[in-house]
Amino acid sequence: MNRPGAETLVASLHPLEVAVIQALSRIREASDTELAEAAGLDAARRDMACGWLVEKGVVEIIGESVAHRVSLTEIGTRYARMGTPETRIVQALRAGRAITMASLEQDLEMEQSEAGTAVGALKKAAVVTAGSGGVLEIVPGADLSAFETVAALISHVATAGEVGLEGLPDTQRQALDGLHRKRGKAKGVFRVDEQRTRTYALTPLGQEVGTLTRDRSGAAEIGQLTSQMLADGSWKDKDFRRYNIALKPPRVTMGRKHPYRAYLDNVKAKMVGMGFRQMTSSLVQNEFWNNDALFMPQFHPARDIHDAYFVSEPKHSKPISEPFFSAVAKVHADGGDTGSTGWNYRFREMQSRRLVLRSQGTADSAHKLAEGPDVPGKYFSIARCFRYDQVDATHAPDFFQVEGIVLGEGIHFRTLLGLLKLFARELARAEQVKFVPAYFPFTEPSVEIHARHPKLGWIELGGAGLFRPEVTRPLGVTTPVIAWGLGLDRMAMVALNIHDIRDLFSSDLDLIRTTRGVAGTSGGA
Amino acid sequence: MPTVTVHRDDVEKLLGQPFDADVFESLLELVKGELDDVDAATGEIRVELNDTNRPDLWCVEGICRQLRIHREQRPRDYAFFDATAPEALDMREIRIDPTVNEVRPYIGACIARGVVVDDKLLAQLIQTQEKICDVFGRKRKSIAIGIYAADKLQFPLHYRGVPPSEGAFVPLGMNEPLTLEQIATMHPKGQQYAPIVARHGLWPLLLDDAGTVLSFPPVINSTTVGEVREGDSELFLEVTGTDLRMVTLVVNILAANMADRGASIEPVRSVYPEATPFGRQVVTPRHLKRTMSVPCHAFFRALGETVSGADLQRELSAYGYRVENTADSVRVVVPPYRDDILHPVDVIEDFAISRGYEQFSPEMPSEFTVGGLLPLENLSDRVRDLMVGMGYQEVLSNILVGREELTDHMELHGAALVSVSNVMTASYSVLRNAVLPSLLKVEQQSGRAFYPHSLFEVGEVARMQADSPMGSETRTQMAVLLAHAEANFSELASRLEMLCFYLGISYQLEPVDHASYIPGRAGRIVVNRDAIGIIGELSPEVLENWKITVPCAAFELDLSALI
Repeated sequence: MNRPGAETLVASLHPLEVAVIQALSRIREASDTELAEAAGLDAARRDMACGWLVEKGVVEIIGESVAHRVSLTEIGTRYARMGTPETRIVQALRAGRAITMASLEQDLEMEQSEAGTAVGALKKAAVVTAGSGGVLEIVPGADLSAFETVAALISHVATAGEVGLEGLPDTQRQALDGLHRKRGKAKGVFRVDEQRTRTYALTPLGQEVGTLTRDRSGAAEIGQLTSQMLADGSWKDKDFRRYNIALKPPRVTMGRKHPYRAYLDNVKAKMVGMGFRQMTSSLVQNEFWNNDALFMPQFHPARDIHDAYFVSEPKHSKPISEPFFSAVAKVHADGGDTGSTGWNYRFREMQSRRLVLRSQGTADSAHKLAEGPDVPGKYFSIARCFRYDQVDATHAPDFFQVEGIVLGEGIHFRTLLGLLKLFARELARAEQVKFVPAYFPFTEPSVEIHARHPKLGWIELGGAGLFRPEVTRPLGVTTPVIAWGLGLDRMAMVALNIHDIRDLFSSDLDLIRTTRGVAGTSGGA
Repeated sequence: MPTVTVHRDDVEKLLGQPFDADVFESLLELVKGELDDVDAATGEIRVELNDTNRPDLWCVEGICRQLRIHREQRPRDYAFFDATAPEALDMREIRIDPTVNEVRPYIGACIARGVVVDDKLLAQLIQTQEKICDVFGRKRKSIAIGIYAADKLQFPLHYRGVPPSEGAFVPLGMNEPLTLEQIATMHPKGQQYAPIVARHGLWPLLLDDAGTVLSFPPVINSTTVGEVREGDSELFLEVTGTDLRMVTLVVNILAANMADRGASIEPVRSVYPEATPFGRQVVTPRHLKRTMSVPCHAFFRALGETVSGADLQRELSAYGYRVENTADSVRVVVPPYRDDILHPVDVIEDFAISRGYEQFSPEMPSEFTVGGLLPLENLSDRVRDLMVGMGYQEVLSNILVGREELTDHMELHGAALVSVSNVMTASYSVLRNAVLPSLLKVEQQSGRAFYPHSLFEVGEVARMQADSPMGSETRTQMAVLLAHAEANFSELASRLEMLCFYLGISYQLEPVDHASYIPGRAGRIVVNRDAIGIIGELSPEVLENWKITVPCAAFELDLSALI
């Protein structure tokens, strides 16, 4: 590389660089801390100046040592409190509890993946075996030392807050190898941070620059232009120090929308652009609006205790307003005046009034139909929904559904397909779509749309259909209604380069700050 | 949604054509099925069926039947439906005693002859039984199926209720006779399914004429005659339940399945103590003969194009219906293995599926509508823009949280919260009633992210509200948290001041004692004499509870109150 000569260099030195050069001219060589003190700079400014000077060949690093600091991650802190999954399983088994792989999640409140890894490790180390019916058994006299080492290390780090890696005994260092967090990847137990100590000195070029710097009169050159200079004109007979503008500036924190919210903002804007009005309803619903009004029979499998969250107090809503309650009850029982046979069962009011956390965004559409929507009219909602699922990489405790309806005298199956095509183009930038027959209790005909996303290939974009007359008529609507719902989670995760749905709602500020939208995938800012 | 595992050879045999995964996958659209997996080595194919109303499709026979009908373009003929008069003399019989009236009143059956059971067929029979009983039969509550070797049974059979302390027999999986009560407590199937009948005084029992027990429906079969083995070729298939129509439909499905495999079906007569909706003597399989008349204009209105009588005739026949055309409507007879047609729209959908969705050209909805956001959403968006402008990072949190995050951690004990009764994990058991705890959770987990931390979130919360229809109210609130070495009240108060200035809200701060905040450093945010928020420096107790080690100032504001 062609380096400029000492003269040229001196002309473009930053005051921070001058401070470092002068300090090193004085004390010859210096460690990070010595240099910071001698130059009167804080660590960040020292690093910045040294970085520039090393690049210019003025300063060299003549020694470097690395130390590692070990601390606990969020998972590690939890293990410090509750014990590692392995020790908890061993303790539970020693306490004589009958445990199977399947019951671990329930019995010990472990995540499936966590329980799986732990049992795998214990089996591999021949500490447990799976007996008949998958019941885990302890192998008598098994060697637990590896797991005890990890537990001891966790509690050691928990007490100290942070320990030096180099000071740990070999066994603990080995144990740590597989357990620390790799940046941005799966979550580990420990976090290992590097601490570098460097020793700096001037290069021969640097010494030359140092001499020149001493010789030059600082007064001849302007660093920062000031108001004073502008007022008194003193800048006129001076030179401006030349900057090295190619240097990478330090990053700053800034105000910013949450990346997933920004993604949803984009969806919102698209919806409004396509003529949709926003609608909403409450987080807590009764089963009437969540299911009954959507013609899902009270014995439908998806209404089971294992699919929705029920509210404990109060358990039931106030009586459901008329004429909706009677009309819906009748349509379930015998079809009412809709031309349907109905489901032929006894409709129970108290089940209808049972309170649940909204399990599907279509509940918002049911409310809108009953409110007397505009015809023609288009509505959408971005609704927070809840399902009774074990929380893991594909299930968040709550999530968003984008849903809506379109009403109009001229609405039919082909306009439904046209609308879905429009969605595919606007939301997934997909020109190619495929329509597949689908089943939803509240629509007929029902369709699923698959779209060819420019980045992802064929994806399932959503489901839709024409609301059954058993849904619309009891709520007072006589025009045809399209009901649609879009599954945007996966597209959002790809746009944000996230692989675990829980990270869409992360509490880790570093992750939030560093998550960017990926260009060309409708990602957020 | 049921997922079934079927075998390639079986599919080829029932479909009558060589198996090709790609072709099969696209054909599955006809049955709303998805191909999950094909194991080339074993020939096992996993198919997910999405229609929860069509139990006939939850088996290889049913899937292939629908596909084959479509290929052959005409409904399948089953001669055994209604072939025998209920009074025929030589028919096998089940005599039903009034003692089952309360607990499980209906039973239907048929005999299938001439198909030798091998391990693969046995696996399919068991799978069909499980899928139908679990999903359609609601875990055997409304439907249970028993399959037996017919040649071991002495007809007529007797279906009656007995006291739980009686009826001893050797259930499958055991070696000695147990009474029904003992089965209920000791047998794994008893523990699982006996609760279905437990509240009744008499429990159902199916015996043959020699007094040999077949089974204790819906719980378990007997070892003596209640087990089908490889090599059996004469099967007795029996269905019990609480709804005669459902019971009949399931017998029909089982009979059609066996007939599709080449069996000859012999009907069985159920003789009831008194008249049922189908009469006192009911012969199964029995065509339910559901018919539906659909006016031609209904097709036009739903599909957006005119369809000819010939189209209707062709496509509906190719989906399994018997079709009669009249001038302006079409009348269809639903096939005997289906009972899911509730409304003409169901027939219209089948027509569209049979013709193929790709045959319909999409048309853009042309009616003009004006889009727009709700006032609360507009306000939220303005607030978010302003906070971002002030350098704050937005956060988005889950709102189903742990109770202590909202109570003990905030030094607010005993707050009324919207709680879940069927809690899966304690960390997700209540709806948040404030946004601030979500921000503190971020702060708790982000001590290593460089400071300052200037955070905000706008989002939904649920508040208990006794006089509201749902017992609670959903509101949109905002919270702001400032955390750094010198974070304090005045720095944050100036943010609140600027926010309110740009929102055009005039407010007062009134001193307040609040357990989450340092006394003397907290204020109520009052707008139009209503307290709609709170601002202050968080108390060291709260910070300690959250294990936060930097000073924090925060405010929370109810945006719903500003609309």
